[in-house]
Amino acid sequence: MKNLALSIIKYRKAIIAAILVLTVFFGYFIKDIKVNSDILSSLPKDDKTAILFNRIGKQYGGNDIAMIAIETDNIFKKETLEQIRQITDSIKTIKEIGSVTSLTDVIDIKSSEAGIEIGKLVDENNLPKTPKQFDNLKKYIFSKDMYKGTIISNDATATLVIAKILDGSDKEEITNLIKSKITNLKLPETIKIYYGGLPFTINEAGKIIAHDLIFLGPIAFLVIALILLLNFRSKRGVALPLLTVVITIIWTMGILSLLHYELTMITCIIPVILLAVGSAWPIHVINRVNTETDPDKKKALVNALLYVTLPVSLAAIAAMIGFLTFVFGSYLTMIQQFGIFSAVGIFIALLLSLTFVPAHIVSINFKSNTKETTPKNNKKSFLDNFLKTNVSFIYKHPAYIIIPWALVLIISIIGITRIQHKVDMIDYFKKGSDIQKTERLMQSKFSGSMPVYVAVKGNVQSPEVLNVMKQIQKFMEKNPYIKHTQSVADLIEEMNNAMGEGKKIPEEQAKIEQLWFLLDGQDIMTQLVNDSLNEGLIQANMSTADNKVLTQFSEDLNQFIKQFKNYQIEVSGIPALYLRLDQSIVQTQRRSMILAIILAFALVALMFKSVKKGLYSIVPMTISIIILYGFMGWTGIPIDIATVLVASISIGVGDYAIHIISGYNHFFKLEPDVNTALRKSIQISGRAVIINVLSVAAGFIVLIFSHLVPLQRFGIIIGVAMISSGLAAITLLPVIMKATQKSQKIKSYDKTQSDEVLEKSEYCN
Amino acid sequence: MRSSKIKSAVLIALCAVGSIFSANAQDANSILKKMDDVMYSPKDMTGKNKIVLIDKGGKQESREATIQQKGTDKRIFRFTSPASQAGIAVLSLPNDIMYLYLPAFGKERRIATSAKNQNFAGTDFAYDDMESKPYSDKYTPKLLKTEANVFVLELTPKSTSDYSKIIANIDKTNFYPVSMEYYDKGNTKIKEAKYTFRKIGNYWSASEIEMTDLKKNHKTKMQMSDVKYDKGLTDDDFSVRKLKQ
Repeated sequence: MKNLALSIIKYRKAIIAAILVLTVFFGYFIKDIKVNSDILSSLPKDDKTAILFNRIGKQYGGNDIAMIAIETDNIFKKETLEQIRQITDSIKTIKEIGSVTSLTDVIDIKSSEAGIEIGKLVDENNLPKTPKQFDNLKKYIFSKDMYKGTIISNDATATLVIAKILDGSDKEEITNLIKSKITNLKLPETIKIYYGGLPFTINEAGKIIAHDLIFLGPIAFLVIALILLLNFRSKRGVALPLLTVVITIIWTMGILSLLHYELTMITCIIPVILLAVGSAWPIHVINRVNTETDPDKKKALVNALLYVTLPVSLAAIAAMIGFLTFVFGSYLTMIQQFGIFSAVGIFIALLLSLTFVPAHIVSINFKSNTKETTPKNNKKSFLDNFLKTNVSFIYKHPAYIIIPWALVLIISIIGITRIQHKVDMIDYFKKGSDIQKTERLMQSKFSGSMPVYVAVKGNVQSPEVLNVMKQIQKFMEKNPYIKHTQSVADLIEEMNNAMGEGKKIPEEQAKIEQLWFLLDGQDIMTQLVNDSLNEGLIQANMSTADNKVLTQFSEDLNQFIKQFKNYQIEVSGIPALYLRLDQSIVQTQRRSMILAIILAFALVALMFKSVKKGLYSIVPMTISIIILYGFMGWTGIPIDIATVLVASISIGVGDYAIHIISGYNHFFKLEPDVNTALRKSIQISGRAVIINVLSVAAGFIVLIFSHLVPLQRFGIIIGVAMISSGLAAITLLPVIMKATQKSQKIKSYDKTQSDEVLEKSEYCN
Repeated sequence: MRSSKIKSAVLIALCAVGSIFSANAQDANSILKKMDDVMYSPKDMTGKNKIVLIDKGGKQESREATIQQKGTDKRIFRFTSPASQAGIAVLSLPNDIMYLYLPAFGKERRIATSAKNQNFAGTDFAYDDMESKPYSDKYTPKLLKTEANVFVLELTPKSTSDYSKIIANIDKTNFYPVSMEYYDKGNTKIKEAKYTFRKIGNYWSASEIEMTDLKKNHKTKMQMSDVKYDKGLTDDDFSVRKLKQ
């Protein structure tokens, strides 16, 4: 260790130069970084439900549907129809749009005694004019199930224009083009336009990621700078940690880009995480260097590094463990990547703290030989008084500490029973955001936007397969949230009716094969059957995002299809995915939390070669997790894609017990007395813990400016977890340590001695 | 003095341009008329038709049918293969009236289609493209340029159509179409037809038409064989009764 410190001094210039070169190198690759806002691409590649969902989305084109919802007082007006026609025609002219379906451009098949009439529902070149014509049109449209709730709302105030984006085209570009074409039409304000469907959602999410990336980073930077300024009141104290973190972020993002990973809605907050978490270790190093009074600069630095390397490394490793638990516990690949790259970033921050920071300090100091001025604050601050009272409570009135903690824990445990899960992606966007607005409209006025897919394998021209599909459809339609299902079986029934044989599936396959002649080549067929005609798809939409309803429906449907033993039937869609996501979130939460606690325990136990100390270290983190979930239960913050991460991160980042135990060990070696060592540790390390808690919590709180709701919640509750973990480490943990470290001689609390220590601890500032 | 010179120059220029336009229009009209003559002059026609569908993966599927046609507006397509579609017959009559016969049902249905942009029986040909109405009735031509072997005509629809224009390349010596490019209202080329003509008796006959849907990247080849002209088909050959035979 000593050699390492000496080498750093010796090769300081080479170290700084190498780090700068690497920073330029990694910085160069940041320009290639790409944003991936497609939530579906984050589904695991080996999960059955996810594979099926992606396959169906791709093969049957459902993931490429852009929806434009038009809302006004009455659709059945000349101006409105004219506007729908304009919108339809303008979108149609986009090269990459395969087909457009709207009120003014939809094929309508009428069958009557006289025969079949194939035409447009509304002749776009001859729109209805008289009130009577509109009346007739309205009556006709609402007489057909296929239009109600799918292309027009039941109250006739909203309608959809559905555009299919061709495979392989740039969806972001196309959705922007659609928007600009519609904006250029300069429609009156009485017409409200909403954009929905996966391509628009992804585009919107991409903008949000870019926003978070561009705005949150600098805000976090400023907040951390402010905190550092308040703490250190010196240029170096502010500039060096910030410089270290900025280099860390550049390296981490450069590596991410170099390995061809893309930024997602979760990984985009890595810079904020690194600012909040990664600034802690350079602070510790600078802090320690500042406190060394030895006039021999070399010796002072070596001493400082000797003291600080272990606790800083331990804290960083603990944090890395917290993040790495997501690699094993998570369902979504974006969360795994978040875990990996946050850990990589923390490792880099640690590396820089132990090399770049001392090398930099030495270079500056050796060159200018000016003593860094850390202003001494001779007045006892609030923090010192707080710590003093704390110490007095620990020794004189431990009940004052134990009772409030017990109460908080009881209240929290009650809160835990009220905790909710939430996987509805739409809830991730802020209220009033375009995505939310469109979604509400889709749910209230149309048949919803939560696609449900049932894929039935078998010859789709056989009456048996078609009848199985019909039975499944009837079952699905019993659900109050499913208004309409669609499959090729419906079309065959329709055609059979047109042939004058009733609305049913013909009994002979030959008839079905010939009815197929009428359907062949229709656009809709590619959305309902595959090319080889050995798989048919039932499509429906659910008009709710209620977890319970979706889960119940998925379970019921899976149960129902079990009766068709001879057929391979697969269910996918958003409800099935949500069910899977919900299970996985619960799993992630349990697995990564337990793993994090065990690893944190093992780390401390191993480092201090003491099981007891390992157990000590998990006391504050366990308490903070109970409070965290209790807080979430009482405030109604659900466990979601981001909040699920908090427990493990706070275990890793908020392992404040390490500081107290490490401080205790240090002082115990100097003076083998439990009480003195503990007291000094609380007053010196405890102070560092509080500053650390406040700066990390402040860094994370920046996330409330995120445009993604889970990230906002994440920012709030990680603060709660950090503060409770920090407080437990400096109040409750010493009480427990004091009670259990009885093998040593216990001195009575000595006020004078305590104050003396406190004076000395001023240097910690 | 100077201004009158300019005026007369402008006048002369205008006259010249005008005459070029009218000459062009005449030329374009007569070229299109000649093309119609080549395509629609036989009184009737019978033949075998093979429809090859090629998807974007290159996968092929084919159907065979016999065709009978009288004049420009009566036609029967009778499918002979694949087995599942054998016997299906489509009778097209004037005024967009069609009858479809499905042998498995043993009955015919009248189909009225006003949606001409719909594709015919899974092919890349829209009903509009299948219509045998003379092009000069449906389109206003404009001669864009004259190339070594072809006249390039721009056809603008006279009434409502899904196409904004068609660019037709017409053989200079024999006046049959070599290719046609179809543009949508956004002026994007969406389809392309390539024609192969050969002479049968007195008539130039399309032995193959290859239609490509550029958006779907899907192709249809219609290949004609055993083509016979002017065999004296009667209106009775195009009746519902005949359809069911």
